[in-house]
Amino acid sequence: MLKEISRKNAIHIMLVYTGGCNGCDIEIVNAVLSPFYDIEQYKVILTWNPREADILAVTGPVTKKMEPALKEIYAAIPEPKLVAAIGSCAINGGPYANLGGDLGSSDQIVGGVSKVIPVDANIPGCPPRPEDVLQAVVSVVPLLAKKR
Amino acid sequence: MADVDRKDRAEVEVPLGMVHSALLEPFRIRLFVDDEVVVDAEITYDTAHRGIERMMEGMPVQKGLILTERICGICSHIHIWNGTRMVERGLGIEVPQRAHHIRVIGNEMERLHSHLLYLGHAFEILGHETFSMRCFMFREPVQNMLFFLSGNRVHYTIPVIGGIRPRCDIDKDKKQTLLAMLKSLDEELKAFGNRVINDTLIVSRIKDIGYLSKEDAIKYGALGPNMRASGVNFDWRIKVPEYKDNFDFEVIVREGGTVLDRVACRLFECLESIKIIKQALETLPDEEPINVGYELGRMGYSTSYNEAARGEIYDSCSLDDLGRIQSYINRTPSMSSLSAMEVSCIGDHLTDATITIVSCDPCLTCTNRVTVVDENKDKEYILEPEDIRRLARRKI
Repeated sequence: MLKEISRKNAIHIMLVYTGGCNGCDIEIVNAVLSPFYDIEQYKVILTWNPREADILAVTGPVTKKMEPALKEIYAAIPEPKLVAAIGSCAINGGPYANLGGDLGSSDQIVGGVSKVIPVDANIPGCPPRPEDVLQAVVSVVPLLAKKR
Repeated sequence: MADVDRKDRAEVEVPLGMVHSALLEPFRIRLFVDDEVVVDAEITYDTAHRGIERMMEGMPVQKGLILTERICGICSHIHIWNGTRMVERGLGIEVPQRAHHIRVIGNEMERLHSHLLYLGHAFEILGHETFSMRCFMFREPVQNMLFFLSGNRVHYTIPVIGGIRPRCDIDKDKKQTLLAMLKSLDEELKAFGNRVINDTLIVSRIKDIGYLSKEDAIKYGALGPNMRASGVNFDWRIKVPEYKDNFDFEVIVREGGTVLDRVACRLFECLESIKIIKQALETLPDEEPINVGYELGRMGYSTSYNEAARGEIYDSCSLDDLGRIQSYINRTPSMSSLSAMEVSCIGDHLTDATITIVSCDPCLTCTNRVTVVDENKDKEYILEPEDIRRLARRKI
């Protein structure tokens, strides 16, 4: 019980950008950091250290270059952990995996995040609005409290 | 940059990245340090390469141009505008003046939010949380304006070939609201700018670091505000007819070349942008915003240059008989600003390196598109800034 309460009171999100267009990335940082949609008031804190993270937020399609780095970061996060794929690129590769001309779609990306690491939550949008991110955080927190 | 002697002299190598708290985007900087002074710097940036130009080969041009917007999430409008402009120039499509005005409004709003993001990020790296938060607070009304104008906060997709999308048209009510939003932003930003430039704490921290001389700025191909902060007076907006013929504004040039000048240059450019948006809204002509009477077809090689928030942007492609894209080329400003960034780190303390890097406004997501496939050697490599300059001299 004590563990649950204390975990709920300091949720750390680690943001990893795996090669998207920066749009989702900045929207997340804006949602968490900026005083307008301040998530920090709900004790959700942005971190860059995988050892203290609870939620791994991944934006962008996973490029082949970032695949090992993402796996390493995922392994470094202690249990219990959740992974949120943010934006359409992170969910299914977006235009890079599904659009293409004569030469087909991009050969530089692996695809969505779920092809590399298990994903618990998807937040759709190109990019998702800050309100959606807030909503997602609110619905993900109980999941984290239940996990052991 | 690969100077063997200097690297040998270095005692310690400090790598930052791939994922590092000072850098929002994944890239690696290796700083070669000799007793706390950076003697050489090296940047590796091929993590976000997605092959957009390759994907666009053979795509219908309307579809392909929307994909250009996905190159970058910060300067998305300028990519699609420049691409559309290139096709319009190549095929001789007439565009109504109203559409030009609205495209300029989109670009200037984008410049505002990009510069404010830059300032917020720079102050955050400096450790001045209050100023950083205030910059993000200024940015939010600009994002709201863009949302109000186009219906999306990041990828607005305002231009189409022949004009603008009807949903982005500005009617009378929209105009009044935008002008009111702009007025309050203008006043607040002026007060904030005064506060920053006269703040002893901030100025003493960024005054003499990250020096990039005028010669180096030209030699290493710095662009945009980085170049203008080093005393080079050039801006594509004084050449592009959409800006030159209709709007009255100043090009901000500063002589210093330090981090302070780069910050101040962007701060003043924000005010100029507000000036341009106001003029565009007030002189908006009353006509249809889109010309639909055009035909797509074979187009020879066409190019277009424009001024993005970070500097010069260049697009070129040709179209086949069915109006499909052939060999699209897009060159973004961060590409050459990166080498300027390496140079300006050298000779400073290690603690100043991060703010110097941030002050050059790197945008890696734009930069990571250029991969060259050498068929003879049968290997792929990312184009380095030196190669770009070599190719630029050959005028590909």
